[in-house]
Amino acid sequence: MMTKKKSIFTQEVIVGIVLVALYFFFRTISADFGKYTTFLSMMDISYYYVFMAIGVAFPLITGGVDLSIGTGMICYALAGGFMIRQYGWPTGLAICLSIVFGLAIGLLNGVLIALMGLPPFLATLCTCMITRGLGSVVTGSFAVPWPTAKQPNGWFHSIFKITLENKTKIPLGLVWVILLMLIMQFVLAHTKFGRYTIAIGSNKEAAMLSGINVKFYHVMVYAVSGLFAGLASIAYGAVIKTVQPGTGAGMELDAIGGAIVGGVSASGGYGTIYGTVIGAYVIIFLKQGLPYIGFNANMQQIITGLVLIGAVAIDIVKRKVVK
Amino acid sequence: MMKKALAVIMSAALVGSLACAPVFAENLSDTSEGIAQFDGLTANEPYDFQIVVKSFQSTYWQAALQGMDQAKDELGVTYSAQGPASESDIADQVNMLNSAINGAPAGVGLAACDTSSVLESLQTAADNGVPIVAFDTGIADAPEGSVVCTVVTDNVAAGEVAAVNLYEAIKDQLGDGTVRIGEINQDNYALNIQQRGLGFINKIIELANADGYSVAMEGNEYYVNEAVGAVEGDADIILEVRVPAQTTVDMCSTEAGTILDKEDTIAVFGSNQTAAEGLLVANDNREVLGDTIVGVGFDAGTSIKAAVEDGTFLGAVTQSPLMMGYYCIYALTAAANGQELIDVPTDGYWYDASNMDDEAIAPNLYD
Repeated sequence: MMTKKKSIFTQEVIVGIVLVALYFFFRTISADFGKYTTFLSMMDISYYYVFMAIGVAFPLITGGVDLSIGTGMICYALAGGFMIRQYGWPTGLAICLSIVFGLAIGLLNGVLIALMGLPPFLATLCTCMITRGLGSVVTGSFAVPWPTAKQPNGWFHSIFKITLENKTKIPLGLVWVILLMLIMQFVLAHTKFGRYTIAIGSNKEAAMLSGINVKFYHVMVYAVSGLFAGLASIAYGAVIKTVQPGTGAGMELDAIGGAIVGGVSASGGYGTIYGTVIGAYVIIFLKQGLPYIGFNANMQQIITGLVLIGAVAIDIVKRKVVK
Repeated sequence: MMKKALAVIMSAALVGSLACAPVFAENLSDTSEGIAQFDGLTANEPYDFQIVVKSFQSTYWQAALQGMDQAKDELGVTYSAQGPASESDIADQVNMLNSAINGAPAGVGLAACDTSSVLESLQTAADNGVPIVAFDTGIADAPEGSVVCTVVTDNVAAGEVAAVNLYEAIKDQLGDGTVRIGEINQDNYALNIQQRGLGFINKIIELANADGYSVAMEGNEYYVNEAVGAVEGDADIILEVRVPAQTTVDMCSTEAGTILDKEDTIAVFGSNQTAAEGLLVANDNREVLGDTIVGVGFDAGTSIKAAVEDGTFLGAVTQSPLMMGYYCIYALTAAANGQELIDVPTDGYWYDASNMDDEAIAPNLYD
């Protein structure tokens, strides 16, 4: 029997080509965009979006969504920063708090969705609101600066960027991005958890009938999303001078958009983590690159929306071709 | 007791400002007359006020609320403060303002995100006899009888003082080809940001023209159109104004990055705490501020103070949010008592590494 050869032009490959093309497009029009310092700034801002995107890819692959990651990230960053500033916690402990806080909200999402049966959109919209308010409550509604790189507690900045003796800055965060991408891609493609995540997204009933503990794995999927929002909060605290309560709403959409651009199926059942990361960088490149070629930030939102429509259209066409 | 302590600080501030040698260590405004009207003030009743701030996004508002807390304790009144999630959430703030007015409080203290969007609400307040005290941001077209007192820094003067100091630092670089001065404004609709931004722009144009240099405007249409004295086409100085889509530090940093990356940029001004912090985020990798580019900030906060101290910023202009909050409650109480009020200009100072510890300056440099 002849088997149909799988095209090498998967959505991930196409988006990868788009990413490279975008980079050279912006670079051609604006020489400033090609500067190493611009690249460093893009990397700084990318880490928290990419971490959120990696995490949210898992709920998306189950056919769900996690809208709480944007406000959640700010909430966890506020909590960690507040404990350092107000109570003199060591930075390491505050980082642990932020990550555990993210994990806890992720677990809450999972319980609401998998055990209590709330639709993912509704459950995570609720926790989105809760975390938005909670961040303000924790800090008394006030902005919180994390320690700067030059302050005694500011060592955590070197997790994401180091400066060599000749003053060259190395975007170390990119190494963590690649490492986490490889680990989570392995988890998704080669572990029971990953296979069940895809199975839940493909056909939840069939997954249940085949004996998979769907509720447990569904909870875990949201826990992963929360965990990565917690990691994102550390990157955010390292880059942005002052964490502002009440912000973060809308940032989840860039992360979700990145995952979908990168080939995660909007209706669940398919996706890759490397595609998610590439897609997230497409969104970052648009956000950072469009101002360099004279487009204001409003135009970049319109263009990002159009790119998302294109990505979803590819997903729909793909499904029709498969059928 | 607290009032006395604050009065001592204020007096020390005034005396200190006179003692500081450079002209720019002087207070931007004469605050004495506005403050004097509150001498011996007591509340006729334990009034309850509503305060609507722009947001709680920056530590600036934390300082304002500290001032309000001091005043309420002294006067035996109460207040509830609320504000939208961000300073871009204009509609949310209008809803909050409407709810506050509908509750018929003894008065409302308002720092308007967008001054034109609150006019209808202010008319309702005037119709219902709810006195409004505008603080932080004045409301130029407020309906008659609505705003009974305005407690603000002179924002035009604040922008001008930033321009004068920045120009002094760069004037030796002028004349050898076109150079660029950047300005990051977090928005183009709040009156205080507009006044500050245009105060800076128009002063730069005035100073440059006086030295025989021409200035052309680029960037955000509002500021380009409102600038006075700019030329079209080639000029000795390009003044580029960037405004992000949202009033957040990371959006400001992206806009700031585009200015810092330009080869002809020699100076840049961030016109409030969010914009100035955005400048610092953009500078993290480029490290050009305090080196090849002169940076000037606004307000205080941990990172801006550190940048002024280590020379990343040439200096910054600080307001006194604590004083604004304090006299907002005093003005509300006086208005509720039925007292006729005059406006209260609040402190504003230029500060740099040399005078951060001065008695006049230090109390205004909040974290």
